[in-house]
Amino acid sequence: MLSILVYGAVTSAIYAMLAVGFTLIFGVAGVLNLAHGAFYGLGAYAAYVLTARLGWPLFPAAITAVAAVALFGVAVERWLIRPLRHSALAVLMITIAVGLLFEQAMYLLFGSEARNVPAFINATWGFAGLDIGGQRLLTLVVGAAIILTLWLFIQGTRLGAAILALSQDREGALYVGIPADRIYAVVMAISAAIAAAAGVLTAPFLTVQPTMDLLPMIKAFSIVIVGGLGSIPGSILAALLLGYSETIVAYAISPAWTEIVSLVAVLLTLILRPAGLLGKRAAF
Amino acid sequence: MTVPLLEVTHLNKRFAGLVAVNDVSFTLDAGEIAGILGPNGAGKTTLFNLLTGFLAHDAGSVRFEGHDLGGSLPHQIVNRGLARTFQLCRPFAGLSVIENVMVACLAPRVRRRERPERRAREIVDAVGLAHRADTAVETLPYGDLRRLEIARALATRPRLLLLDEPFAGLGAGEIAPLSDLIRRLHAAEGLTILLIEHRLREFMQLVSRVIAMDFGRIIASGTPGEIVRHPRVIEAYIGRAAENLTSGGAHGAA
Amino acid sequence: MVGDRMRGRQAAGMIVILAALAGLPLFVRSDYFLGILSVCFIYGIWATSWDFMSGLTGRENFGHALFIGAGAYTAAFLNGKLGTSPWWGLPAGGLAAGLISLVIGVPTLRLRGPYFALAMLAAATIMQRLTLIFWQYSGGEEGIPGLDPMFETKTAIYYLCLCGFVGITALLLLFARSPWGLILRSIRGDEAASQAAGIDVTFHKIAALVVSACCAGIGGVLYAHYQEAVTPDVFSVTLSITIIIMVYVGGIGTLYGPAVGAVLLALLPELLRGLGQYRLWVYSLVLIFILFFAPGGLIAPLWRRVAAGRP
Repeated sequence: MLSILVYGAVTSAIYAMLAVGFTLIFGVAGVLNLAHGAFYGLGAYAAYVLTARLGWPLFPAAITAVAAVALFGVAVERWLIRPLRHSALAVLMITIAVGLLFEQAMYLLFGSEARNVPAFINATWGFAGLDIGGQRLLTLVVGAAIILTLWLFIQGTRLGAAILALSQDREGALYVGIPADRIYAVVMAISAAIAAAAGVLTAPFLTVQPTMDLLPMIKAFSIVIVGGLGSIPGSILAALLLGYSETIVAYAISPAWTEIVSLVAVLLTLILRPAGLLGKRAAF
Repeated sequence: MTVPLLEVTHLNKRFAGLVAVNDVSFTLDAGEIAGILGPNGAGKTTLFNLLTGFLAHDAGSVRFEGHDLGGSLPHQIVNRGLARTFQLCRPFAGLSVIENVMVACLAPRVRRRERPERRAREIVDAVGLAHRADTAVETLPYGDLRRLEIARALATRPRLLLLDEPFAGLGAGEIAPLSDLIRRLHAAEGLTILLIEHRLREFMQLVSRVIAMDFGRIIASGTPGEIVRHPRVIEAYIGRAAENLTSGGAHGAA
Repeated sequence: MVGDRMRGRQAAGMIVILAALAGLPLFVRSDYFLGILSVCFIYGIWATSWDFMSGLTGRENFGHALFIGAGAYTAAFLNGKLGTSPWWGLPAGGLAAGLISLVIGVPTLRLRGPYFALAMLAAATIMQRLTLIFWQYSGGEEGIPGLDPMFETKTAIYYLCLCGFVGITALLLLFARSPWGLILRSIRGDEAASQAAGIDVTFHKIAALVVSACCAGIGGVLYAHYQEAVTPDVFSVTLSITIIIMVYVGGIGTLYGPAVGAVLLALLPELLRGLGQYRLWVYSLVLIFILFFAPGGLIAPLWRRVAAGRP
């Protein structure tokens, strides 16, 4: 029972980190970023290179990895997405191309085998007969902190207010002179950084290999659809919902069935409540 | 008494707390040309969207030829004989003029009765676009796009046609021919027409009855002559205009 | 009329190309090369069927491999596990893909927004995972080997794939140029306006998806029996995306462009030996090039110019 509670929370935190950034850039810039998984993967690989190859200490390596991916996200937005913004399909395709190039580049540089990243915390906590890896707990705590910080940032700063305005009414916001291009870049940086942070944090206990970008991204989509496209609270709620239901399914039936949970959740949401749990716009 | 062509009773629609259409009731008889008048944001286009199934109403009912349209989808309503145009022209990009009209002729209502190709030719002729039949819509001048918009609605063989600001964006010289076209269609096809328009002069000449709206409600209804003298209409229009003058047009931007 | 001459040239060009493809096995006796071309034709089926739904209606499908895999695994179960004739796979695989397309299409295609695209991508990926997880039934990573080929000789298989490719492309082109195709293109132009013209857009989108899925499924069956095995790769996102890139190169929404583009692009890495490993690099760079410099694709505009007699 306790293990479901804790492992469910860890899974939910990872999902929330992935989904929040994905929904943010969609809500604000209308960009459906199919390279989001690549940001997550790049974070993990950057952590691998800095620690295992270059021998950096863990914390500077983690910060550098996240910052580098954020810069990469800005570059993608500036040079690849922005020139194509007139066509939603072209934007979608270019983000796909970025994702594909990520996988191919990782194959070429590091091969297809899984890589190991040292854990930040090697200790395990045991309580009430349960052993939990310190890295997982760290992921949970840092993930929650990141999302809380993002929330405070959006609610409490001028830049955050501008981001919120763009996501709620893009035309209105453009009309009153919000500098959209700059904000798109900022949001892309935030979105990429959070995905990279998830990659860095989970790298020690999940596999780091070229195809690692896909499944987390699928989970992010599913969560975002269930939560309501563009809604941050919705995606957090949906992350909790999916994280816990997968954990429960894994314990109650078998880990094999967890993959089906998100697909069923997506189809049910679309049938019963297409706008998602907390979607403000009707999807029709 | 015969059943009216369109009977709207106590129609309501709200968006996130804002009441867009508030307790609207009216009827249209077959063969009328009626108009809806009202300032921006009065709920006219929302009303059209409710009548044509593009939005679902929260309360009230819409009956067309005695048939309740509640829950019907837009294409089902069109196939019952209630067609519309859009305020902004929405041609099918990538298709030619005749193809644009053909699409509407492929609706089940038309297909049952006649060959789509013939109907499309007929309509394109009737609205005066025959010489542009094979032109790509992307290169069409705005006035012709307006005609195409009407042609497409007309092609579905409507009994009632809703025109959302048919003269919007047209130059002075383009309005009279389009106005004539609408009058001709009314006469020739026995069409009932309900239109929204801001160009008061053309509007008043065209319609035989006016429904005036403000803040989602019907505030007056009558002949054009009665409406321009109606105190509440004057208040809604003139009062606003005066307010605009004094506050430097802030009302329009808000 | 210029249009008539253009149509005449196009027809003449088509006949020449088809005759050349039909006569090829008389001159090229390499089984290896005929095999490669057979696969190219199967890619042609996949790209054309993708374009029929997504190119015409403008609803992008990021998981076409879902239908391919459904067809391929149906064929593998029937032939490999139940031992039925490979020919039963063709209708059964097409049907299975069509049914799956209904499961995804009915809830998502009535909505506006990116739901259909995302659901397709998610469904294909999850199916691939499921083939690994339920390995007892699906053979896991190894897939299901030991399928019977449709014919004994590579030449016969070549003709089978050519016929499938030409037949499906011709059928879909016929649909695309019929009133139905006009309806689908109007949906791409403006969905709400199409509804206002009395068209049941949801029905037509779903119908187009089912047709597209059946064709892709049949392509999947041909592929499974050509390989004489299936592996989970038939569900892969890489395959879905490769197909979309082929469509882009051909010219989205034209059907004949993607048909030709797919054959050429599938052939390219085989011709440039040693490039096979960098196939996806080439494809991604080609995609980026096209997005920035040739949004209409390469094949269809070229074909139109040649047919119009311009240099």
